[in-house]
Amino acid sequence: MISLALLRFLRRTPWSTSMALVGMALGVASIVSVHLVSASISSRLDGLVPSSLADFSYYLHRENLHTNDYFELRRMWRSGALPTLERLSPVVDETAQVADLSVRVLGIDLLSQTPSGEIQTSTGQFAFNGVWVDETLKGALSLPINGIIEAPEGTLLSDISVAHDLLNWPDHQLSYIGLVIGHAFAQSLEVAENLLPGFGAGLPVAKPNLAIGPGWQLVNTAEQYPARAFGKSILFNIAALGMLALLVAWLLIYQVAVSWLRRLWPVFDRLHGLGVEWQSLRNYFLGSIGVIASIAAGLGLIVGWWLATKLLQMSVPGQVVALDLSAWVVAKAFGSALAVCLVGGAWAFKRSQQGKPQSLAPLLTTLVLLFCGLICVLEAKTGLAGGFFTIAVLSLAAGQTIGPLLILLKRWSSNIGGSYLMRVGVREALWHPAELSVALAGLSLSIATAIGVGLMVDSFRLDFSQMLDHRLKYDVIAEGAPASLEALIKAPRSVHQANRIQHYRTADIRVNGVLVELNVTQMDAFESSRYAHDKRLGNREVLLSEQAARSLDVLPQATLRIRGETMTVAGTFSAFGDLKPRLIVDDQSVIAAAMGADFKTTSVAFKSAAPQALAGSLKRSSSMLEIRLQSDIRRIALEVFDQTFAITTVLITIALLVAAISVYIAVTTLRLNRQAGRQLLNTLGVHRVEQHLMNLSMGIGLGAVAMIVALPLGMMFGWILCNVINPRAFGWTIELQMSAGALLWPCAWGMLAAILAGMLQVGGKEEGAFGGH
Amino acid sequence: MTQDSALTVNKISKHYQDGSRQIEVIRDLSFNVAAGKSLSVTGPSGSGKSTLLNALAGLVELDDGDITLEIEDTIFSYRAAKERARTAFRRQHIGYVYQFFNLVPTLTVLENVRLPARLNRRPDLEAFASTLLGDFGLSDRMHDFPEKLSGGEQQRVAVARAVLLRPPLLLADEPTGNLDAENSAQIADILFSSCRDQNIMLVLATHSNDIAAMADTRLHLDARSSARLTPE
Ligand SMILES: Nc1ncnc2c1ncn2[C@@H]1O[C@H](COP(=O)(O)OP(=O)(O)O)[C@@H](O)[C@H]1O
Ligand SMILES: [Mg+2]
Repeated sequence: MISLALLRFLRRTPWSTSMALVGMALGVASIVSVHLVSASISSRLDGLVPSSLADFSYYLHRENLHTNDYFELRRMWRSGALPTLERLSPVVDETAQVADLSVRVLGIDLLSQTPSGEIQTSTGQFAFNGVWVDETLKGALSLPINGIIEAPEGTLLSDISVAHDLLNWPDHQLSYIGLVIGHAFAQSLEVAENLLPGFGAGLPVAKPNLAIGPGWQLVNTAEQYPARAFGKSILFNIAALGMLALLVAWLLIYQVAVSWLRRLWPVFDRLHGLGVEWQSLRNYFLGSIGVIASIAAGLGLIVGWWLATKLLQMSVPGQVVALDLSAWVVAKAFGSALAVCLVGGAWAFKRSQQGKPQSLAPLLTTLVLLFCGLICVLEAKTGLAGGFFTIAVLSLAAGQTIGPLLILLKRWSSNIGGSYLMRVGVREALWHPAELSVALAGLSLSIATAIGVGLMVDSFRLDFSQMLDHRLKYDVIAEGAPASLEALIKAPRSVHQANRIQHYRTADIRVNGVLVELNVTQMDAFESSRYAHDKRLGNREVLLSEQAARSLDVLPQATLRIRGETMTVAGTFSAFGDLKPRLIVDDQSVIAAAMGADFKTTSVAFKSAAPQALAGSLKRSSSMLEIRLQSDIRRIALEVFDQTFAITTVLITIALLVAAISVYIAVTTLRLNRQAGRQLLNTLGVHRVEQHLMNLSMGIGLGAVAMIVALPLGMMFGWILCNVINPRAFGWTIELQMSAGALLWPCAWGMLAAILAGMLQVGGKEEGAFGGH
Repeated sequence: MTQDSALTVNKISKHYQDGSRQIEVIRDLSFNVAAGKSLSVTGPSGSGKSTLLNALAGLVELDDGDITLEIEDTIFSYRAAKERARTAFRRQHIGYVYQFFNLVPTLTVLENVRLPARLNRRPDLEAFASTLLGDFGLSDRMHDFPEKLSGGEQQRVAVARAVLLRPPLLLADEPTGNLDAENSAQIADILFSSCRDQNIMLVLATHSNDIAAMADTRLHLDARSSARLTPE
């Protein structure tokens, strides 16, 4: 009988029922799409490291690493002296010219570590002196090829002895020893990574404390594969945004459950009056909302998958993306929908039944969490995760302030002036803290995120273009093979047309065990100014990129030993987008003199009064080189920059949309409360247009409340992103700029969302409750 | 503003459709009310009292017949007017007091009473709103929101708002239905005295015989949707 009453009720309110379904499905869709996008990026990043090396979290390195050093270590490990190590193996890793190609030769111990999975020996021919290569080297080498591996372009994998032969190295020489560190939470971390792809990238990696002799340098693999570390950091940012989308979606699902209950409550009240037990009423409620949640989760999966495909096509145009609809995603979709619905619904049911219990516990918890957040901001060791923990805690705290804020504003609201109808509308937005605070929290949260990320991106863009202004002081830049560049410098024709020619030479070296790029060029005052340094660089001076200063842990004026020479750090420069830490020295410096032949010419820059003509003649003289105008470089750099952040914009838009729907659903539950008021105003002669204006002012009121919380919260997010997250993730700092656009656009969109939610009265004719009127 | 006014109800009928069932609520009802006179409407629940008052307010479409309100030589015909015109007419010329939920919860007491003045752009009446509230013993509640007021106080505010414009027609649908005897007497008293003193026509639906008896004319509706008019 109860189910019949329920069914009849749902049939009489098709609009509200389908809104609940659509709202929840959209929440699930946002969860699914964010997950799929992150997982796809994550797997693409994993391809950047040959998977034979992917397990290593640290490398041990020393000058002239000898196989005996390895055996010595291995003995110590066997005897139990190095308990934190799970495995260690020798590695050769060096770039060499093989068949005129620059090839990264990786030698591993095939006996201790058979290449797994990645090798497709479909050809059947297996040679122990053979190699595995990535797709690009397939036809280019005259070596027996055992298989194709998933690895960055130009990677060759072989047994150590084969690598030695290719590199012409003595048999005992090694590059480093790869370490696999045992992890107490490895298993739970893997589950977490499956649930929130990319999340692991933000967790701080503890440096193992190894009791080994002097002379060893412990190097984090993140420093060894900067491209991957960089990508993982971006991924972590997306994962963190995804967490926000998840949170907002959960708020929406909870909101749907609560609205559902509010609609059914009059029926339940009546049925209880007729003698039906609360227990069974609750089961009917949870059953009905559970059915809606399951259908919504299914729909959300499909929509989310479609959305993710579109998003990835947008962020990596031209690439075919295969999305893996794994069991994890399905579990996350159904889990989110059902768990939030049932737990939230049961809780709301209990609250409706007994009234609100006043408790200090949530407030105290929030205060404690806020304190922890503060520590995370101050303590750099907490890493990226610490930064995002703070953001999560701030969101939680801000969400909790909405209810009390509404109550406060309601008390103050007799001060609101203006037309009476406008007063009615705006105050209506403040009048229902219990019904609206969840939805408004979601809205403020998504507006705040949009503001925070917007502030960060705008500040970043400003710093980035300032860096480009500094850096791009030449008109034409040539890049390509060292030999062609050398030829270009000597060609008289190009010299004629240019006012200044600058050539750059580069070598990869280790400083304190850290792999860095060393640039050598003539560092006169003009060139130094490109790195924001105001005078010529002395021959015992070095400039460090911000990342280099961080990973070497030095400050300006400190000294640094590089290749046996003591150098003074003259300053640091910003180098957004650099993958490796970078050092710059003058071509007359002691290091340049000592290293001479180790450098390769990587680019040549020209200043010219007629850049177009110069570029044209350079292109004609050497077809092997890439000749670019600096104006193009600037444009392309900014394009790449904007593309990188396009996906963040989409994620935020999804969160905003989900939040707007949640506000709309909350407002529709108020329809009952508002109906009597509207009837009265109609009697007083308020016509329909005026009623719409009142809805408009209610929407504005809702938006304004969301903004009161979102603006300061968004600014805090922006500050944390610029001063905490970015330094920890990428090694650079961004100066926070309060850009008007970043503040106003999210507010405008949030306001629009609130106004639409307030004004849309589709299905308004529907009866709010079952039976009576 | 209302020296010469008259309400004429001429053979009106109204039915509701409930699924396949037709509910005949009012059939062929006619009566007149003159300026400064009152009419009480009695009858059991469901006899159509509220429907009649809503018809007089122009809130429901009539099936048949017409209601006209004559104000200083202009005659307003409900049948001829569109909804929008009826709404504008109601705003200007009709006061209405319900049994409950009379006040806009998001407006203060004073704002509620001033609302008709604002809607009709009559700033000259805003001071009168405070005077009325003072007369009704509510001067210290003016800046409170309605939720803080007792039932009796809320009804007094509702009456103050209904008479602020001194409209030619005042409708009251069981205005004392929710009140104790003392408050009921007070509300009835201010309704009837406003009607007499300010030359307002009052149509009042009530369950109370005592209050119905205070009217100049009584109209009794019975469940079989026939009406009996008993002049005092
Ligand atoms: N909007 C409506 N739709 C359908 N039936 C209605 C509506 N309003 C009133 N009725 C019906 O009309 C009849 C008269 O109602 P009403 O005028 O409220 O009577 P009273 O005020 O005397 O109790 C009742 O049977 C009621 O159910
Ligand atoms: Mg009634």
